[in-house]
Amino acid sequence: MATLDHVLPTEEELTVEEVNLGTSLLMAGANHLGKYCEYQNNEYLLCKSELKDPRKCLNEGKAVTACSLEFFRNVKKLCLQEFNQYATCIDKSSSSYDYSVCRRTQSVFDKCMLDEMNLPRPSFGYFTEVKVHNTKRPKPEPEPIPHYPDTPAPVPEAVKPKYGHRGIFQS
Amino acid sequence: MATGTVKTGPQDLPPSGGYGPVQFERIKLRQILSAKSTLLTYAACTGLGFFVMFYEYRQIRRERVEQLSGRFAIQALLQAERDRQFLKQVRRNRDAEADLMKDYPGWQVGKLFDEARFIGDDPDKFIEPNISEYFAHARCVGGFLHLFNYSLNV
Repeated sequence: MATLDHVLPTEEELTVEEVNLGTSLLMAGANHLGKYCEYQNNEYLLCKSELKDPRKCLNEGKAVTACSLEFFRNVKKLCLQEFNQYATCIDKSSSSYDYSVCRRTQSVFDKCMLDEMNLPRPSFGYFTEVKVHNTKRPKPEPEPIPHYPDTPAPVPEAVKPKYGHRGIFQS
Repeated sequence: MATGTVKTGPQDLPPSGGYGPVQFERIKLRQILSAKSTLLTYAACTGLGFFVMFYEYRQIRRERVEQLSGRFAIQALLQAERDRQFLKQVRRNRDAEADLMKDYPGWQVGKLFDEARFIGDDPDKFIEPNISEYFAHARCVGGFLHLFNYSLNV
């Protein structure tokens, strides 16, 4: 439980416009979205993995949401019909939003994205690959080595057995 | 005591010409598959099965990677939204506790009888509340439905 000493952001700081879309729509736009907002996503996930504190990555998270909103607004403006067609296919063709059953609608959507937004579909498995992210974030300080004042002093050499000791499997 | 009646009449004898022959020899079942062809069929079926399995598994793996790739692409978006929602709820919980215990003299919010949650708890460090703390002020049913919100914690 948070005490009053813990600094928690207020409700206003946490309220931004969210992406109000269902899973099928998110999955339909996922690949292009990941490419469009690659920098923001990487910044945010790097921040989360470095600091492990949701309070300190709020601005990065807001940037991610803003970028995603911008992407979906662009899609709505330019490729709405193709996008809806693709998302409907993904929604209704399988129970787990499989891409493999919607290749035809996908190619139509990809073509529109390439023509209108100049955004090619990333290569196969692009977001599962390991990539180097170039960032301006300062490097986090390494965790200080804890100091325990009541640690017993190391055993002097004279006390140690002269001829070694019995092995683990010797009895 | 047993005053049995004595059987009279002719004795039971074999039919005239004697009994028929008795079957002593083993009658073998009609053989459909020999041992060799059984083994060969088994080997062929297993081999074909393994081939189809591995061939299909490559396709399944490919689809799995593609699916995972799509999910990774929206992970940041979902996590960012979840973080904000989570922090909002933590703050609401703190406010609810302060409101609930305001009549208790000397109550300190977030502490149990002046004991901090962890020894050496640093207010600068955020320790995520566990599930029973997070839902401490929720109604049973509503809280249960929000388990999904909690479980998105990656």
